[in-house]
Amino acid sequence: MEKILNKIQLSDWIAALDGWESFAPILQDGIWSYQPIKRGVNSVQLEYPNTTQPPKNFTFPQREVFFTFEQIKGEAPRLTQILPTDKPRVIFGVRPCDGQALPRMDRLFNEQFADIYYQKRRENLAYVGLACNTPPSRNCFCKAVGGSPFATNGLDILMTDLGDRYLVTAVTAIGDRLIDHGVQLFSEPTGRDRAEAGQLRIAALKQPQRAIQESATVPKRLKEQFASPLWEELARPCIGCGICTYLCPTCHCFDINDEVATPAPLRGSRIRTWDTCQFPDFTMHSSGHNPRTEVGARLRQRINHKLQYFYENFGMFQCTGCGRCISGCPVGIDIIAVVNQVTATPEN
Amino acid sequence: MDANIYLPNLARVIFVKEEVPGERAIKTFHVEFIDSAGFAHECGQCAMLSVFGRGESMISIASSPLVDGYKQFSIMRAGRVTSAFHDLEVGDVIGIRGPYGNSFPIDAWRGKNLVFIGGGCGLAPIWPVIQTAVKKRDEFKQITVFYGGRSSRDIMYRTELDKLRETAEVHLSVDKQEEGWQEFCGFVPANLMNKEPSPENAIAITCGPPVMIKFVIQNLRSLGFQDNQIYTTLENKMKCALGKCGRCNVGKDYVCTKGPVYSWADLKELPPEY
Amino acid sequence: MIKLQDIKNRARELLANGEVRAVIGYRNGSRGMAAEPAVIADPNDAANIVWNPSCVHNLALYLVDDRKRLTRKQETPTKPIAIMAKGCDARAIVVLLQENYFKREDVYILGVSCETTGMLDEHKLEQLKIRPDQFTAVEFDGDDFVLIKDAETQQRFPAREIMADRCLECRNPFPKLNNAVFGEEKARNLAAPFSALMQFEQNATQNTRWDFWQHQFERCIRCSACRSVCPMCYCEECIVDSITYSVMPDTTAEEKANRIRWIERSATRANNIGYHLTRALHLAGRCIDCGECERVCPVRIPLRLLNTKLERDARERFGYEPGASVEVASFVSSFRDNDPGNFIR
Repeated sequence: MEKILNKIQLSDWIAALDGWESFAPILQDGIWSYQPIKRGVNSVQLEYPNTTQPPKNFTFPQREVFFTFEQIKGEAPRLTQILPTDKPRVIFGVRPCDGQALPRMDRLFNEQFADIYYQKRRENLAYVGLACNTPPSRNCFCKAVGGSPFATNGLDILMTDLGDRYLVTAVTAIGDRLIDHGVQLFSEPTGRDRAEAGQLRIAALKQPQRAIQESATVPKRLKEQFASPLWEELARPCIGCGICTYLCPTCHCFDINDEVATPAPLRGSRIRTWDTCQFPDFTMHSSGHNPRTEVGARLRQRINHKLQYFYENFGMFQCTGCGRCISGCPVGIDIIAVVNQVTATPEN
Repeated sequence: MDANIYLPNLARVIFVKEEVPGERAIKTFHVEFIDSAGFAHECGQCAMLSVFGRGESMISIASSPLVDGYKQFSIMRAGRVTSAFHDLEVGDVIGIRGPYGNSFPIDAWRGKNLVFIGGGCGLAPIWPVIQTAVKKRDEFKQITVFYGGRSSRDIMYRTELDKLRETAEVHLSVDKQEEGWQEFCGFVPANLMNKEPSPENAIAITCGPPVMIKFVIQNLRSLGFQDNQIYTTLENKMKCALGKCGRCNVGKDYVCTKGPVYSWADLKELPPEY
Repeated sequence: MIKLQDIKNRARELLANGEVRAVIGYRNGSRGMAAEPAVIADPNDAANIVWNPSCVHNLALYLVDDRKRLTRKQETPTKPIAIMAKGCDARAIVVLLQENYFKREDVYILGVSCETTGMLDEHKLEQLKIRPDQFTAVEFDGDDFVLIKDAETQQRFPAREIMADRCLECRNPFPKLNNAVFGEEKARNLAAPFSALMQFEQNATQNTRWDFWQHQFERCIRCSACRSVCPMCYCEECIVDSITYSVMPDTTAEEKANRIRWIERSATRANNIGYHLTRALHLAGRCIDCGECERVCPVRIPLRLLNTKLERDARERFGYEPGASVEVASFVSSFRDNDPGNFIR
């Protein structure tokens, strides 16, 4: 279904969502981030570029406790699994690039072995997206990777900003339900509303974005350039932090560790945390052998995984073009510039 | 209840044997499932073994799928988690989840000559194939095993290898000259060239330190083995074993799910990052 | 005023006549107006060097990176490496020399004075509703102004409105340790040293300070950028990463097994407090306030407050100024007979 909501009633709609925990982008501590909205306390407005961190935390938190263990020496250990018990959550203002992350994460976390922690969080999560009339960042490139500023993949609702009101378009049955909760606040869209939205969409698609040269053949060209010395040269400023990975909507590498609370009797938890292929010791064996000792190999791994390997396995780029890795990199390593330079053919 | 892929089952250690003493010690464990029916496995598959409080390690299942009642693991003491394994005694309970990974296509090898080449602890991942071939002896032709260690002390499965001579050709080696050592002296790839096994109707299966595998494959090819006649099993740092954490990612494959068993024909298509 | 061409010429000369094997400097980035670090080996590429208010990076980090790279490849260079160094960067090099990370003759310092205008803070631009990534160039404009340009327009700002706090507080914008220097030594008296810290202390009581920090440490996502960008955090085995470590061929299984996990990888408040406070303590007397840690933090934790607190303590209680002189011993490896001892009970 498709409705019109006046902007000043956005907070009322959120207040009407009984049984849901609502989140919206708030400027806090100097950055935009998704914060819980306390009914009646916060007034929500969605005039914002994009959040510093993607909504990845809602399905794949930085720290996930898998289970606790308790063991007295000589006896069998007792394991107690700790499953997520989130209330249903709805996130407002999600940009289409962040919505696109969900189909990628869904494939990865459900492929062959279904990840119950991801699933439980995922099935309790709804996204109310916000189309991008203009690119939120100069580093946006959703179009280059098969996306669009009005894409609906992964979203339950897509809202289009028509100035003083939103065109609210349900994408899934959950989207319909969310609208039903506040049905009295909505009105029917007029022909003019729809025409305006259509024009905004056409204009948005024409907005300049950064471009990956010939993105359709990027997987093949990256494969051909595996041994290029440019990788090491372009990766030279890399400091080996985790910003590109942690700010990425689709990066999912993780570590699993046992954290011990007391040694005897043994009590502790097995915990999953974010990890990144950019840390120098990510692939290091116990023996000290490390398949990727040089920073060029690690940069190549991340970019190849996003734009070649994932594509070969699942038929879609893993990168959604949000541009956060470009804006966030402390030393300006730019995935678009790197890909274009490494795969440059003489004609380019 | 939905299965939790990260939650291990429990297994009790029923047998411990020190195969190799010293700094690079190897111990063999037999474990039996205690809180579940357990799982069947195929040759080449691995399991994630937990020592709670220390962590998990991905270890090849060294027993043949035809063996009932226990699973065998031979573990080298290399670091934090494997040291904890070496402290285990009979009766201790560990975590186990699996089986993970692909397997050797042993059915397709019926009627063929099998040439095994192992080094160090690398004999363990290919041991289930050897044991299965021996148990189903009539289904296979000639079985040849090349295996070596740094010294005679580093040779594992000594008793079993001696018994294997009843039905297979076994060529052992040590890296350096040693008093009392009667067999070949030199690296395993050199022993291979010394005996020159024929590629005719043969499959070669190799596992060991990365540098050994590299030269073994080179030598096999020079002996005339085709790329699809050569099989190996990879070792990578692994954490989830489920194709999700990214640590064992090589090219488009997560080695824990698409591997660890590879023919050279397939492996040479992957970037050399292992 | 500095003539950029002088720096380019000197860099080209050093490379062309084989006096240095590379020049670590700045060049234009690809994502807007910000400069990026560059390691230049070809004399022709010296033409790409830039010098403008977005040259914020502490390039001393790449001296550390270079040394680690050489160790990994087991190479011993016969020529030094050159580096563009601002006042703060040169002080970082002093600390690395005090700690014998490399020898003085291994590095050729091309000192660049910030004169009266320091580096800009992109966050302050954002507060003025300027989106840094929308612009393509930024330049020094006279002594006190900065020009920000895009394809069509340009805007002029009084430098002090958009200068980084650490530049406002800087007392040494001139790189004293150098092999060659560009620009003059000019005083800068824009803000008192430790202004940001004093402001924070004025606005908070002891209790609210702890609430503030607990809140900040809860936000940390443990990306480690603060550590990765700091030239002085060069330890191969960091107290935080007790789960990974440098492994030599002769490192025994027992050594690996027995390493203590002081601080876990998961981002709990307790672990994050341990990480940040330990890191700050390990930098006491070594941090030269380049401000990079605070700049790179993706969630804007005000890390300078931690480091400048300890720097002030070093100054006031021990009379110690990090990075002032190579001849002086490092802070934690020396003592004087009249050092305060009233905290020892």
